[in-house]
Parts: sequence; C-alpha cells; structure tokens
Amino acid sequence: MTASSISIPAVLDIENLNTSFMLPGGELKVLRDVSFSVARGEILGLVGESGSGKSITGFSINGLLSPPGRVVSGSIRLNGEEIIGLPPAAMRKLRGAKIAMVFQDPMMTLNPVLKIRVQMSDALRAHKRLGRSDVRSRSIAALEEVGIPSPEDRLDAYPHQLSGGMRQRVAIAIAMLHEPDLIIMDEPTTALDVTIQGQILALVQRLCRERGTALIWITHDLAVVAGIADRLMVMYAGRIVEEGPVDTVLDTPAHPYTRGLIDSVPTRGMRGQRLKQIPGRMPALVDLPEGCAFQPRCPSATDACKTPPIYQAFLQGHSVRCRHPISEVPLREASG
Amino acid sequence: MSSPILKVSNVSRRFGEKSDIIARLLARLGLIRPKPVVTAVDDVSFTLERGRVLGVVGESGCGKSTLGRMIAGLLPPSEGEITLDQGDGQHRAMPMQMIFQDPFSSLNPRKRVRELVCEAPRVHRIVEHGELQAYVEQLMERCGIDPSVRDRYAHQFSGGQRQRIGIARALAVEPEVLVADEAVSALDVSVQAQSINLFLDLRDVFGLTYVFISHDLGVIEHIADTILVMYLGRVVERGPAEDVFARPMHPYTRALIDGVPRLDRRRVTYEPIKGDIPSPIDPPPGCHFHPRCPFAQPQCREERPETRQVEGRLVACHLAEDINQHKEPSAWQVTPSA
Repeated sequence: MTASSISIPAVLDIENLNTSFMLPGGELKVLRDVSFSVARGEILGLVGESGSGKSITGFSINGLLSPPGRVVSGSIRLNGEEIIGLPPAAMRKLRGAKIAMVFQDPMMTLNPVLKIRVQMSDALRAHKRLGRSDVRSRSIAALEEVGIPSPEDRLDAYPHQLSGGMRQRVAIAIAMLHEPDLIIMDEPTTALDVTIQGQILALVQRLCRERGTALIWITHDLAVVAGIADRLMVMYAGRIVEEGPVDTVLDTPAHPYTRGLIDSVPTRGMRGQRLKQIPGRMPALVDLPEGCAFQPRCPSATDACKTPPIYQAFLQGHSVRCRHPISEVPLREASG
Repeated sequence: MSSPILKVSNVSRRFGEKSDIIARLLARLGLIRPKPVVTAVDDVSFTLERGRVLGVVGESGCGKSTLGRMIAGLLPPSEGEITLDQGDGQHRAMPMQMIFQDPFSSLNPRKRVRELVCEAPRVHRIVEHGELQAYVEQLMERCGIDPSVRDRYAHQFSGGQRQRIGIARALAVEPEVLVADEAVSALDVSVQAQSINLFLDLRDVFGLTYVFISHDLGVIEHIADTILVMYLGRVVERGPAEDVFARPMHPYTRALIDGVPRLDRRRVTYEPIKGDIPSPIDPPPGCHFHPRCPFAQPQCREERPETRQVEGRLVACHLAEDINQHKEPSAWQVTPSA
C-alpha cells in the first residue's frame, strides 16, 4: 500500500495478512488485515504489548508458524515474489538467505551442545557450497564484524561460555551471514543490560546502514525504537492501529492507544507524579469487543466506535485505524 | 520525613566462602583449588529516611538483588549490619517486606488469592480472626483487585494483577519498608504505568518507605528520591536522584544514563561504552570499572577508589573532579547522526 508512494523499491510488501490459530474451540484470529511494507535499508519499529500479534507477524513472514497457527489469507511479497503458499523446501531456501530472524533469547536459539563454529558452518553450508577454509574465514569475518574479540577462539566456544551480549552478537552474526534482504529482530535486547543493549543497537544500526538491509525491530519498548527506527507501526489486539514516520507517530500520535502508550512512559520533568495510565487491559483475543478493539479503554470512544474503523491515511505517510483520530491537539495536553 | 528508618552499615555478602575442613586442608596442600568466592555486595552503607524512595540501579551481577534480599531479611549479611528504627515505638511483626520480579513464581499456585493475602496476618495475629475477610477485601480493593475474585488462583490472573496480589500480600502484615526487586520490569508499558501509580499511591496512604531495585533507569528516575548506583558489588555513586540524573559524576553512572533509550532521542548514533560486564568471580583489580572506562589512569588499575564526598554526593572514582571539569567529555555521548 505504501510501497508505491515511496521511490525506493519495497523489500517486503504485505497485504491483508490474516493469521489464525485453529483451535478445537474454533478459529482464533491473531492477525487481522495486516498490511505494510518495508523498503531497502529501512528500519521499521513494530511496537505492541503482549498479545498484540507483533511476534506472530514476524513468524508469519518467516514461515515459522507451526500448527495450529497458519496464514489464512493475504499476501506477503519478498522482492516482488509471493512467498505465501511456497512449498516448505522453497521456503527453507529463503529463510536464512533472504530473510533472517533474531530472537529475544539467544540461549534458546543457539544449540547448547554445538560449538559456535559448527552452528555457523551449518548456517553457511545450508545455502552455499563452501570449502572448509572458506567456512572458517567467513565465520571469523562475520564474528569480527559484530565486534566479538578474538573470534578465532570464540569459534570453539559453546554458547554457555559466552555472555548474554556475546550470544546475541553471535546470533546477529549468523543472521547476517548470507547478507539477507530482510532481518526480523524480535525483542533482541529485552533480556540484555542497558550498556549491552546500547552496543547491540549501535551494531545493528551500523550493519543495516552499511548493507542496506531492511529491518523490522519488534519490541514493546517505544523508547528503544525511537532511537533507531525510520518508521513506527503500532499494533493492538492483532491489528495495526497506527503507522508513520517515527517523529510523526511519537510527537503527534493520532491513535488514542499510541498516545496512551507514550504517556505511560516515565519522562523527565514528571518525577514523582502519577503517570497517565491507560485504564483496563488488553482484551483477550477470544473475547474482543465489538468494533474497535480499543474502544472500552479509549477516552474518546463514542457509539460510532462500535463499528470497526477502517485503516485510513491520516496525513502523508501517516495512517491510523480510528474513528476519532487525535489531530492538532498538542501532546500531553489532551485528557488521558 | 526526617529520621532515618533504615540504616545499612558496611554490609558485605560473600557467596561460596564456606568449605569444610577437609576441603580447606586439601586446598592448603595444593591438591585442590580453593572454592571461588563471589563478593556480591562489597561494603555498602547508607541510611534511608522514613517515607523516602531509594532507587538501586545497576546491571546484572552488580549485587542489587542481593542487597535487597539482605534488607528484607531473606539473607544474612556476611559482614556489617542492617538496622531498622521503628520510631513510633509500635512493634510490628514484619516491618520489612519484599515484592519480587516474577509474580508467576512468587505466588503459591495452589492457594486462592484470599489465602495468599490472609496467611501472614492470620499466623502473626495481626488481625482478629473474625475480621480477616473484611481485612483482606479492603486490602485487595486498595491494591486495585476486585474483591469478588478472592477465591481464584494465581494462574487465573494477568501478570499485572498478579503483581498487585503480591503487593497486597506484602502490605497485609503492615510493613514499614517495602523492597521491590524489579517489581515492574516484566510488565507491559501500559500495565507498568498502572503499577508505578499504585506504588506512589500506597506510599502516600500507608506512609511506606521503598527500596526500589531496577535496571530500568527511566522507572527509577521517576520514582526515586535518592539513588544508589552499583557496579560489581560496590556502590559507585549515591546522591539525590535529580542531581545524579542531571549530572552523573561517576563514568559508569554517566554511561548508564547516556545508554538509556528515550522517546525524545531519535535517529541517534549510539556510541556505547565498550566491553562486557566482568565476571563477579574474578573482578578487575583497583576500580572494577577501569577496563571499560574511557578515562582510566594507571592509578585506577591498582588502587581501589574510596567512596568520597564530592559536591553533595558520594562517588567512588579517583578522577571524579577531573572528569567533571569537562562539561561534555563523554566518549560515548549519543550524538545525532546525519
């Protein structure tokens, strides 16, 4: 949808993606009409709270959904080619080579009984025929690239011998091995300490800028993506509720939920005061309210919100799914 | 608001130091290596005034949780002492309580909310038996849990609600000091704001004193009056929160504060502090922070910096004054990128 308005060709183009979990009790719709695109070299921040569907979006793109979850309808195009419905073997060729993913906990994604060397050579050889010395030199280069000291020695280490930050670097090095067009990072720094998080942010930012890799950074923390993202997308209960350039979304949020999220973050100059809070909590997906899912918690909800709002362009490059988008009200002055 | 309620003097905690006589003998003979000793908390002192909030910040392995556990009385210190001054002469059974990070593992899954909350006041006879139910309901309401759900089990609640149950349980014994260890870290942003508000409200209602432990500097900056920055077991800086955040003196504090992503920091180029946090088993000599410090001098490698008073706060850095003469010396300052 937005791809046509941007001159840079989209690496990823998603249209009306619907993903569901087929449970014994019926179909649970976890993603509804998700449409967005990511351009080459662009960093997209995908923000949402637990249960908003942000991780499922990542899994759907990467073809990592396992039953009972499956993509019900919609289209995901990578470099213009449809990848929904690809046979598993073809999908496997893409995964790791064209799309890579980095997860929150590298201890879960790295194999604990294999040395780093083996894990890197597996990843390399999955997509390229390479000789031993090639594999070694490429692995070392990749580790060097992510700032791991004495990479030759680290190749023979097991994941548990590395610190959390180092493990995440290794995971990023593996994701970058084939210079993918798109990397999806699912809360990659949530488990890390502040100083290490800063290091990872700097690293990812540099790698993506240098190589023109498109990046989707999935997080619940608005502040993390504020620093590195070009564009922000906010999800709530399986739907995109707002999307736009990072400055626009953070300075003049149009959706009351986005505004609520921003107000919930402690900021300087508010010391010791009560934070503005969003009342209630996110509804369970099995029991979504009629119409707009945010309506029971929304300060500006009216009867009109009982029918589903459409996703509409609000301003240039700024879209919102709301019947009463906030406009021209300066931030922090509207009622919370 | 004035008299100190909590006094922590020269408290240290070591782990793994006790070995039996045979192990010691063998170690002496050089047959086995002596057990490694981790000094989790190293000579920490402070006082906390009634009704104030102390924020303890630091990264993993800095000893903040160990310190919290010692304050709450869950762990005896290896050295030093922690005293609580119950000024009003009124003796309370359990003056210190702790709120844990993970509300999933700190609530007994086999007990109903009502039982979880009323167990301690019943055992300690804080409330008459006949008044228990009303007491529990009142507490639940105060903490924002609908009393009608008192017969449910912990797994039937969301993370934020479970945290509230943990808070209600802690308040049930009328504590004076609450130690909250990463109490809001695991929560979603909107739930976190609700929790922080609850903590602020309860402080006003019950006159509580908090020790708030967190790695999240944004939360600490919001809620704390005084902050204590720890690195590998030692306090590197302590002072009024506002001052410390406005003008951090220790290079580590500065690195922490500069490293925090903020909503108003857009498209920045992160130039983070280098290196990993060293292992607490084998911390670097001298100043623990010197291998990562951009200002480190030979002195820092050898001499442990004493905690000194510098401009109204305590700093453990040899170079505190020199560093602070330069206004923007930070090697890792976040700068807007082109």
